[in-house]
Amino acid sequence: MNDFILALRNLRRNTRRSILSISAIVFATALLIFMLSFQFGVYEDMIDSSVRHSTGHLQITQPGYHQQPRMRNVVTNPQAIEAAAKSIADITAITLRSETFVLASGENRSKGLLLTGVEPENEKIMSLVPNQMVAGRYLNPGDHGAAVMGVLAARNLHMEVGDECVFLGYGRDGSIAAGAVKIVGIYESGIDEFDRSSMQIPLGEFDRVFSMMGGVHRVVMTVDNLAKTYEVVKTLTMATEDLSAMSWDEMTPGLKQSIELDFLSGAVMYVILVVVVACSILNTFFMAIFERKREFGVLMSIGMKPGRLVRLMLLESMSMTVTGLLLGMILGIAVTLASSHWGIGLGKLAEFTAQFGLPARLYPKLTVLSVILGPLLICFVTFITALIPVLKIPRMQPVEALRS
Amino acid sequence: MKPVLRIICSVALFFTLTAISNAEEDAAFLVKNAFDYWRGVSSYSEFSMTIHRSDFERTMEMKGWSKGREDALFFVLAPVKDAGNGSLKKGRDMWNYNPKINRAIKLPPSMMSQSWMGSDFSNDDLAKSDTILGNYSHRVIGRQLEDGHLVYTIESIAKEEAPVIWGKQILRIRDDRIILSQQFYDEDMVMVKEMIADELVIFSGRLFPKSWTMYRVDEEDRYTRLVYKYIEFDIDIKDRMFTLATLKSNRQR
Repeated sequence: MNDFILALRNLRRNTRRSILSISAIVFATALLIFMLSFQFGVYEDMIDSSVRHSTGHLQITQPGYHQQPRMRNVVTNPQAIEAAAKSIADITAITLRSETFVLASGENRSKGLLLTGVEPENEKIMSLVPNQMVAGRYLNPGDHGAAVMGVLAARNLHMEVGDECVFLGYGRDGSIAAGAVKIVGIYESGIDEFDRSSMQIPLGEFDRVFSMMGGVHRVVMTVDNLAKTYEVVKTLTMATEDLSAMSWDEMTPGLKQSIELDFLSGAVMYVILVVVVACSILNTFFMAIFERKREFGVLMSIGMKPGRLVRLMLLESMSMTVTGLLLGMILGIAVTLASSHWGIGLGKLAEFTAQFGLPARLYPKLTVLSVILGPLLICFVTFITALIPVLKIPRMQPVEALRS
Repeated sequence: MKPVLRIICSVALFFTLTAISNAEEDAAFLVKNAFDYWRGVSSYSEFSMTIHRSDFERTMEMKGWSKGREDALFFVLAPVKDAGNGSLKKGRDMWNYNPKINRAIKLPPSMMSQSWMGSDFSNDDLAKSDTILGNYSHRVIGRQLEDGHLVYTIESIAKEEAPVIWGKQILRIRDDRIILSQQFYDEDMVMVKEMIADELVIFSGRLFPKSWTMYRVDEEDRYTRLVYKYIEFDIDIKDRMFTLATLKSNRQR
């Protein structure tokens, strides 16, 4: 206890230096907490957007359908899967989808589009599209001869809400399929590829036009927690023998890889940050030890054991570190909470990030991991760096130290 | 170099060059002749188209008219579900007609390489099948005797900047102008699909392969086969036959 008081007194002796060292730690801690929360928040948004725009957290399809979609590779009895999925509590929503490429045509323009048959009532729970209407409305369960279309597709086809659109394609039995629908709404997801080449009609109509005979291409599900995806996939794989269950990261490996790449480049930056902080601590301590050589000489001459001196110095460094960490955590959490409440506007960048399915405002996400990870790293590194100069003390000769 | 030697050399060079250009011309001539023979000045035909997959097979009955190298018109007769669907080709443009929606839809350029009526023939195969004449350089790379006929193997390589999908095609043409096979290679010179003609029979006085099969190289047990039942060549067809109005008002003649 006495040593601790002594350590604090020593720190107070050179207040400015101590404050500088502490503030380096505060700054690094706060930055790490904020950046990690920011990254985690963005990743979650990216996954969520991808999941809600296209894949869901997991899907049941015919084996190989995802790699090479073929019209006749259908899930013949989707109701059985829906029933099986009802008993799994983690599944929050289920919807059925079928899709095929069609030649869509307006008054005098035509274009190849991916036509998806959807269940409007379920899409409203699961998908982002119903909330991204820029004109008209989304599909309703009772709609007949209605369709919604991406904003760029509509522009290319010179089409507006209320216009008629005809499409030509091939049915499940290979027959020539054609339909005429009225555009009731136009959506803008911000993902150009999706807005340029997609169109949706109610599943019942899709079934009739394309002779699907009750079969669908994909049974799409979401779960209440991203981490539970794999567990549910495992359960469903066992429950649906001839079919294949895939998780979102299997379906969009690019997304997972880009997240991993981004995290890696972030990690490199954090390491640099921590090294800078470590250098500043190292510097402070070397200076302190040189400055206080005489003092150590006196202490050792009057009988203080070198071991106790080392403990004292480490106590000094750790109390600085802990103070810095605590203040840094308070600052970091405060900044993160504030920004996750109001969001961070992207301004002109928003158009670019929209391509990755990100909203115009980004919201950092405070998690236990993002709060703990940074401080732990800094604590460990400062302890090691403080150790290097301090371990020189036992090798000091008291007489020499006194003379310096 | 001695003057005499120089003269001999230039004469030799001259003959080599003319020989090369003659060979090229001959090959182009063979290809053009074969395509003219295949298509006739004009024709009316009835045929079936079978789309075969390892787990699936479907046959459609069709009829078609063609005139010159530019115009063609096809209608589906059976099965009932598809009857009345049609395609019109005029030059490089193509329209598909569907009776259910009573609309003829023009194919955008981006859809030209897609499948025609769900088969292994692409829209391009129909709309641009004679681009091989103008957009490729031809060279005879082989001659063989088969069943008493000389069969030429001709390599046709796409000219630079030519607006075509296939980097190379290899044709086997008999000395009586019948195309026996046609192979399609992509830009990397990898074979993508191959059409093989079979069963030579006489249709209205002209020897003609009854069956044409398009195989995909990347997938086993997948092909589309056209089998002709009846062909009439060099008949009188009015130009107004090849219009959108005929496509829409098809009365199952």
